Amino acid sequence: MWENRCKIAISGVGYSKVSRSAEIPLAAHALAAVKDAVADSGLQIDDIDGLSTYPELPATGHAEVDGISVVSVNCMMAMLKLPSLTWHMQVGSNNIGGAVQTAANALLAGMCKYAVVWRAMHNPKGTYQNLPGAQAAGPLQFTAPYGFGGPGQHMAVAYTRYLERHNQSRDKMVTLALTQRKHTQHNPHAYFYGTPLTREDYFNSRMVAHPFCLFDCDIPVQGAVAIVMTTAERARDLKPQPAYLAGYGQRLHFEVAGRIGSLANYMEGGASSAKLTWERSGFSPKDVDVAQIYDGFSASVIYGLESYGFCKEGEALDFIQDGRIELDGDLPLNTFGGSLGTGRIHGLWHIIEGALQASGRAGSRQVKDVNVSFVGASAPIVTGTTFIFVREPY
Amino acid sequence: MSDWSKVTRPVPVPNEWTRPFWEAAKRGSLELQRCQTCGHFQHPPYATCLKCMSVDLKFEPVRGGGHIYAYTIMYHTGDKRFAPVVPYASIIVELDEAPGALMAGNLLDVPYTEAKVGRRVEVTFEPLNDDITLPQFRLAAATPAR
Repeated sequence: MWENRCKIAISGVGYSKVSRSAEIPLAAHALAAVKDAVADSGLQIDDIDGLSTYPELPATGHAEVDGISVVSVNCMMAMLKLPSLTWHMQVGSNNIGGAVQTAANALLAGMCKYAVVWRAMHNPKGTYQNLPGAQAAGPLQFTAPYGFGGPGQHMAVAYTRYLERHNQSRDKMVTLALTQRKHTQHNPHAYFYGTPLTREDYFNSRMVAHPFCLFDCDIPVQGAVAIVMTTAERARDLKPQPAYLAGYGQRLHFEVAGRIGSLANYMEGGASSAKLTWERSGFSPKDVDVAQIYDGFSASVIYGLESYGFCKEGEALDFIQDGRIELDGDLPLNTFGGSLGTGRIHGLWHIIEGALQASGRAGSRQVKDVNVSFVGASAPIVTGTTFIFVREPY
Repeated sequence: MSDWSKVTRPVPVPNEWTRPFWEAAKRGSLELQRCQTCGHFQHPPYATCLKCMSVDLKFEPVRGGGHIYAYTIMYHTGDKRFAPVVPYASIIVELDEAPGALMAGNLLDVPYTEAKVGRRVEVTFEPLNDDITLPQFRLAAATPAR
């Protein structure tokens, strides 16, 4: 087990308004989320002395402009002008989960006392995934000429292989879409709060890239979320009940740029991250009371459930049936609605929900008697990370 | 059936790793990067052998027969160039001689409904311009009906 388990905690959490288009620059969303998280902790902005983020824009063919389409650490430093800043780090290879992990490490090393991590997401005007113009250079030279555009198609090819190899039906995925949308109705910050989804909506929706229909894909939005992290000792003196970090892991399986469609990449990526997390925390999948699993595309949840060890390979579409993933089920899943409910903000919102469930602060969607709260914060293949938060330090 | 003559495809830009692949395709030959130390084929080309770390890599011809490893049927028309052929099949092929080396392509000459995981395919070549010819795939001649 990890000797530093439960020595770091998530304290406050914060949100900006989530909207479909960008009425204000993204920096303003990020600032709103950070202020909200700091206030939730009962701290002042000037108390913050650590900053970390993952600022990537996952859209293709759009300019990255700091403050407008991404919010870098530098941009946040400019806005906050923190008098006691002692540490900052912007991560690349591990998505937003990597920013949370590196902030935990900085806190453990005494490099800062109160770290803020944010994820800000821009929704560019026009088509989200713009294929290259007349030419396809780099890894795209082997995919774009055949009409392979963004991540949706890349994930769709793995999904057809999954379905046909395991003799499964995409019709079963409706349960995930409907259950998550039901959970969304308990999350006022979510884009689809107040918008129900029916079985008919799902089956009548347009196909995007078979086997993904519209409701298998998260909707691009503009918004930001943020958390305050600190040591367990300091967290106990703050306003919220802390969510203690019991263990974490990261994907150890490599990818080859331009090689797409490999189902094995998802499964080995997820398994490698989860193995570290189970070993470090001392827990196993059967100990988990509630799970958040990244769902930029619905199939990521299926690969996650299997590669993290919640069920056997090929069985996840059956595993999610019969109320198992409802708030009162055996494994309540994506209880905040997931990205399918909140809109595309990436995995920090999954981490936030994992923390809220562990600290008993999830309001009307709180699962009863939670101690062990699991998070898979990105698609297992793409810079995946996993976490366990607990209510009771051990 | 998708009429690909209506599509202006993005044209690949060869680089120092990939140029031999495109030069071979122009000659109507499918050549993949092969490790001269352990014999491993890989695609897309990489700096080292992903099996044994050797840097002794050369391009060698393969027969171009394989099976559909995975596929998607594209309906979204975000890229207007491909809109005339929607819905179309984009496939991932695993070649007999290069297991694990996954190649993208389209399934030509048949309706998109013919795309199924495991179906036998063979390489064919689609010239894009004087410099670039695209390896593509069609169902293998002796594909048994399923």
